[in-house]
Amino acid sequence: MATMPNDPVIRTNGLAKRFGDVRAVDGINLNVRRGEIYGFRMLLGLIRPTSGDVMLFGTRLKPGNQDAMRRVGCLVETATSYPNLTVRENLDIQRRLTGSPRNAVGDAIALMGLEQYADRRAGHLSLGNKQRLALARALLHQPELLVLDEPANGLDPAGIIEVRGLLRRLTDERGVAVFMSSHILAEVAHMADRIGIVDAGRLVEELGIDELRSKARSCLSVAVSDPAKAVALLAARLKITLVEQTGEHGLRVYDGHGREAEIARILVSEGLELTRLCHEEEDLEAYFMRLTGGKP
Amino acid sequence: MIPWNVLVTEVVKLRRTKITWLSWLAFSVMPIAGGLFMWIVKEPERAARLGLLGQKARLAGFAADWSGYFTFLLQAELAGLILASVIAAYVFGREYSEGTAKNMLTLPVSRHWFTTAKLVVILGWWIFLTAAIVAEGLFVGWFLDLPGFSPSLMVESVRRILIEALVIYLLVPVVAWIAVLGRGYLAPLGFTLFMLLLGNILGATGWGKWFPWSIVPLVAGISGPRMETVATGSIVVLVLTFILGITATIWQVRWSDNTQ
Repeated sequence: MATMPNDPVIRTNGLAKRFGDVRAVDGINLNVRRGEIYGFRMLLGLIRPTSGDVMLFGTRLKPGNQDAMRRVGCLVETATSYPNLTVRENLDIQRRLTGSPRNAVGDAIALMGLEQYADRRAGHLSLGNKQRLALARALLHQPELLVLDEPANGLDPAGIIEVRGLLRRLTDERGVAVFMSSHILAEVAHMADRIGIVDAGRLVEELGIDELRSKARSCLSVAVSDPAKAVALLAARLKITLVEQTGEHGLRVYDGHGREAEIARILVSEGLELTRLCHEEEDLEAYFMRLTGGKP
Repeated sequence: MIPWNVLVTEVVKLRRTKITWLSWLAFSVMPIAGGLFMWIVKEPERAARLGLLGQKARLAGFAADWSGYFTFLLQAELAGLILASVIAAYVFGREYSEGTAKNMLTLPVSRHWFTTAKLVVILGWWIFLTAAIVAEGLFVGWFLDLPGFSPSLMVESVRRILIEALVIYLLVPVVAWIAVLGRGYLAPLGFTLFMLLLGNILGATGWGKWFPWSIVPLVAGISGPRMETVATGSIVVLVLTFILGITATIWQVRWSDNTQ
């Protein structure tokens, strides 16, 4: 089925899954378009929804939906491969079963920098190289949609940056949509254009990365010798009341922007030792915790 | 018709696996062991010098001739029931034990082709092992210069071994289904051992011809009197078991949740 460039690559309607009494996914509706990197844990026809459905490229996803799956590359959970086969042999299986040309194996090996391991058995690879092999497998047939679960797993810092750059190139140059899930929220914030936050199986918020930046609270991070006295002083002298104590000496001041000099002057003049006063931006992790009511 | 690429990749997946040559090694020991048996019975003086092994060989009641040797091979083929189950458990169960099932099931290939291709690969493997044991048996018998050979005896004995091998293969899809259901090797192996035990008990009670796992020992003549021809009822039971096994495996691979 032909899809227009702006049609969603993935659309879910009231997608739900229960395992007994556990609601793993509870009525999720979302859309992913081309050229987007989307952060969210997903289903790929490996699990049948209890209710609702998933539309891939405009067609309803069913197990073994060949036309849709031909356009999808994925890395689900841990990177796995046949340990008795070499990197090249593992990729050749993918090539044959996706109907890709012969040179696709070499291209995928080169893309993921696996040339020196091409004839090594997958079972003898390091965790990072197993992850590269899994990514090479996902990319081999040049999919339009990449579904990646924890794509940075096992990679060293240079590898993480490399994969991040690779995904960005694929989305920018080839218009590939990336549907990514990760528990490392800093990684999601680095890579994703749009983020879905799921808590207890429900999509609690879906927002773009710019929207996240505008919604994320910023505060003044303060460290003083007597936080209780500092809280009282800020309220009495400066009418600053949105203050949260963090740790033994720390404070987060949410309504003190632009008044840093006043705050410093009053705290010091009252004999408190001020050892830190700086701006702090709420990151995705803190935003997630605030949104879901969790404690850091 | 199974897509050629699916079949090829199922064969490729077995490259460098230990189970391929270990299964051959385990099976090829049988004709040699039988040959050793024959040799001990044939040479009673040397058998006496071998102590317990000699006594045991005499107690087994085999005559050191081609008829006795073929009977031994027929009974040895029963070990193939376990071996074929091990092979099925490996071919299907490894996808779950090694975590590759989730990759396989997201490929643009109808899932029933994976099941069918795996069963075809197991069939090919099983044909090879059976042919190997027959060829090796004939060679060992010729090498020992066993008396009593006749072409009609050979044809009849080989025919019985092939029937037994076919009966064993008809049980493979059920084992495959248990491997997919249990997502690994252990469940199908436990299942096979339990069925074999149950089959032996039922075989001795006279109900054996209705229970698939009793039919193999009956054909081999191990539990109860040897079944000279496979009863029509047994053929129906075996064919139904085969169809049920294939259907259940295809259904399981296609529709069950893969939560790996």
